[in-house]
Amino acid sequence: MGRVSRRQFLKASGFAGAATALVTGTAAAQTVSPNLEGTSENGQNPATNRMAMLMDNSLCVNCHSCRLACQNENKLPVTEKYIRFDYIETGRFPNVKRLLNRHSCMHCEEAPCIGVCPVNALEKGAEGFTHTDFETCIGCGVCLHVCPFEVPVISEEAGTGKPKMYKCNGCRHLIAAGIAPACATNCITGAVQYGTWDEMRAKAEERVAKLRATSPGANVYGIDEQGGLGLLLVLRTPPADYPHLV
Amino acid sequence: MAMDRRTFFRSTAGAAVAVAAMTTIDMRAWAQVVEEAPVELKGSLCNVCSSHCGMYIHVKNGRPWKVTGHPDHSRSRGKLCPRAHGGLYWIYDPARAKTPLKRVGEQEFEQISWEQATDEIAERLKRVLDQHGPQAVFYGHNPRRSGVVYGNRFMHALGVNTIQTHNAACNTARVLGLAHTFGSSYNADWANSDYLLFIGRNMGEGIRTSTALAFGEAIARGATVVCVDPRLNESAAIAEWVPIRPGTDMALLLAIANVLVTEDLYDKEFINTHTIGFHRFERVLPQYTPEWAEELTTIPADRIRSIARGLAAAAPAAAVDTGWKGAFGAAYANSTDTARAVAYVNALLGNLNKRGGIRISRGASLASLPFQAPETPTGPRGDGVGTDYPLATGHGLPHLSMEKAQKGLVKAGIIRHHNPLRTIPDYDHMLAGYRSLDLLVVIETHMTETALEADYILPEPSFAEREEVIEATGPSICMRTKAIEKVHPETKSFDEIITLLANKMGVGRYFDFTLDELNEALLSGQPFSLADLREAGSIEVSVDQPEGVPELNTPSGKFEFYSQRFADEGFNGVAEWYPPETGLQLRENEFRVVHGKQAYHSHCATANIPMLAQVTKDYDTNRVWLNAERAANLGISDGDYVRFTAPDGRSGEARVKVTERIHPDMAFAPGAYGNRTPYFELSEKLGGFNPHDITAYRSEPIVGHTMMSELIVEVKRV
Repeated sequence: MGRVSRRQFLKASGFAGAATALVTGTAAAQTVSPNLEGTSENGQNPATNRMAMLMDNSLCVNCHSCRLACQNENKLPVTEKYIRFDYIETGRFPNVKRLLNRHSCMHCEEAPCIGVCPVNALEKGAEGFTHTDFETCIGCGVCLHVCPFEVPVISEEAGTGKPKMYKCNGCRHLIAAGIAPACATNCITGAVQYGTWDEMRAKAEERVAKLRATSPGANVYGIDEQGGLGLLLVLRTPPADYPHLV
Repeated sequence: MAMDRRTFFRSTAGAAVAVAAMTTIDMRAWAQVVEEAPVELKGSLCNVCSSHCGMYIHVKNGRPWKVTGHPDHSRSRGKLCPRAHGGLYWIYDPARAKTPLKRVGEQEFEQISWEQATDEIAERLKRVLDQHGPQAVFYGHNPRRSGVVYGNRFMHALGVNTIQTHNAACNTARVLGLAHTFGSSYNADWANSDYLLFIGRNMGEGIRTSTALAFGEAIARGATVVCVDPRLNESAAIAEWVPIRPGTDMALLLAIANVLVTEDLYDKEFINTHTIGFHRFERVLPQYTPEWAEELTTIPADRIRSIARGLAAAAPAAAVDTGWKGAFGAAYANSTDTARAVAYVNALLGNLNKRGGIRISRGASLASLPFQAPETPTGPRGDGVGTDYPLATGHGLPHLSMEKAQKGLVKAGIIRHHNPLRTIPDYDHMLAGYRSLDLLVVIETHMTETALEADYILPEPSFAEREEVIEATGPSICMRTKAIEKVHPETKSFDEIITLLANKMGVGRYFDFTLDELNEALLSGQPFSLADLREAGSIEVSVDQPEGVPELNTPSGKFEFYSQRFADEGFNGVAEWYPPETGLQLRENEFRVVHGKQAYHSHCATANIPMLAQVTKDYDTNRVWLNAERAANLGISDGDYVRFTAPDGRSGEARVKVTERIHPDMAFAPGAYGNRTPYFELSEKLGGFNPHDITAYRSEPIVGHTMMSELIVEVKRV
């Protein structure tokens, strides 16, 4: 479980376990309580009801609809956004490529931010996403220093002026109600999807197999990184090309 | 009280003070009540662009807080583009028109009552009609059902038939070109196609979410999508990009046709059975070799051959997309014939109403209205349609109207939800026209550029606060519903405004019904009621689609390679190559300016929306693109300011993005920026170059469109 304390994990999974049953729509007996101690066959998937968002960058048209839907859904101030993009342009006219990658919380299975938070404002949901308790957060920025992907943003909260940490919460309130995160619901080309981690991994691998015909460097990012990521990425070129990937 | 922009905003500051005074209550208890309030989903329609996508407005405590796509609406299919999300801001925007306003000086208005406004408008409109006749009056709008049903009926009752839309600065060349070949517009069956050729089409930035979804499906399935565009746009970024010299798309299409015919790769059965004039086309075709096209387009001849062969191999599950405004909607002198050439290639592929090809679809239909209707006037229009421009469409020529206004031939206009002063090329020309009028009435939600030139501004409620006439969109029957109460009590919806004006003008007998009665009549014969539709927002009905090749809506009933109508009017019977009016030769410091969309902005209407403007700001996207090598030759670096000077001496300044993603001949200006209304304060701060400020007023000879990309400028670093 990385740096997630057992207490934190139990607390979180108790909350989200029932909700996940709604999400998957499968028999309650299979999903209502996460498999806390066991591992799946490949040893990398400790919670059987682990969920994931899949960002297929090869289908993204850079419209920012996900960002806008997320901002409204999470009532963010205009200047804060949980979803940002990195862009890479390569080649010379007329042989040019423009690649992009979604830069937002990767929801690491082994999330270093959780253990270092001095006020325990971060915790794992049973679905595997890293949630912030915004009220508890003091915006100290320690999480930013340990985040492998440079995701957290520290900003003053509108109205109170208190520093707070802003990052994707996986639309916790929606998934608790059995609804996909706003980015997935709103994606206009089907680039962002939401489902069980295994399903999303399978989809990503299937897509990459197809992409390799035209993009030999295509790969799935997030199967092993940080113990596996809750945000899986389909990339057309190796991860080293993207500024925030490790 | 006369008000300019400052006093206008000050008058709304009172509301903020009142809210601040409330902070003495128990915030925690209040917050809990607010948080626990139920959320209502109101099925309605978006209004941030013309697509009117179906959506749910989520309302909590009487305030909308988010929108989601309506699954039963054929344009949204459960998804919404960024503009819909950002558009919520419009409801509470301080730049809203809130009460009837009368002009008392340049950009100065006084608040007046509806009674006074409608009395005075009626009196002045009657005077124009009496003195100058009905062709001196026009009505301009973005044509959707309320505007058509109420606006056209009112105009017809007054004997006015000059009814105009935005199309002359949108897709009118494309519409005419398709109408005179296939007999109507059509769409590619994107989701099922194996080979799609996009000419300037960009699903990622000119968005309807249903088509973006279909495009995503095609890409995910592994279909070949070739994006021909001088710019590596957001669709091309995930597909195959073929850069082309701007203004030469027709040369590419003719060369593709040449390969299909020369290599015997076309559908002879379709050509023999369903077309006329093919032999005349065959006679002009030999000159249009790929090598000939390479010279013009800069696309290698072998690439042109591979596109033609790829299309043929996939046919009939292959299509040349028709685009929208894109490359040939209203861009160049050769745009109408470019649209015909698009149709020629599809005809050669024999893909009509075939899976993965192109489809002429039927939509849901609504009942006709049982109310007494005025006769449609038959006299000449005031904007040259049918006379100066015999082939021009009923969408009209608003730019030509403003020439006639300057000559004293056009005297009054009513414009609704449409901002032609900012969105039609040549601001100075349009402005001079509006200022020559005896009467301009603008019916608007916002204090737009055009509204500020009006003698009277009549304020409408925003999209979330009003109901409208039911629409049939593809297989969906849908309507705008009232999600929340009016924010500004003095606003009135278009149906109310027109009914008021009609009564004052003595033609109230044509409006002897309520909006509800009208909507109920439209639904006559449907298995659901107005109340059902109001609850649902969108209902999908089943519509039989034509299979095979129907009789086409052309004079011959067949596909027309040769158009007698074109020939009769002195145009090419068969589409043949000719260059843009401004030519293709550029001097060392010259660029052709082309503008286009970004996903997160609509026309010039949204740069004032904070969430959308923030995207622009975060990624610095209101810069004009210049090709890296050419910029370097001119000593221009990324982020520099440059001056664009048009041949007539007018000029504008812009920051540049220096990039490899653009053809050396073209400067690309994102089209959303450069508002000139001081009420759009954020947009003003954001800045940006708008090419319409320096594009000369012109009309294309065939359909009369505005030739928006016939602008070549000299570029110099400042």
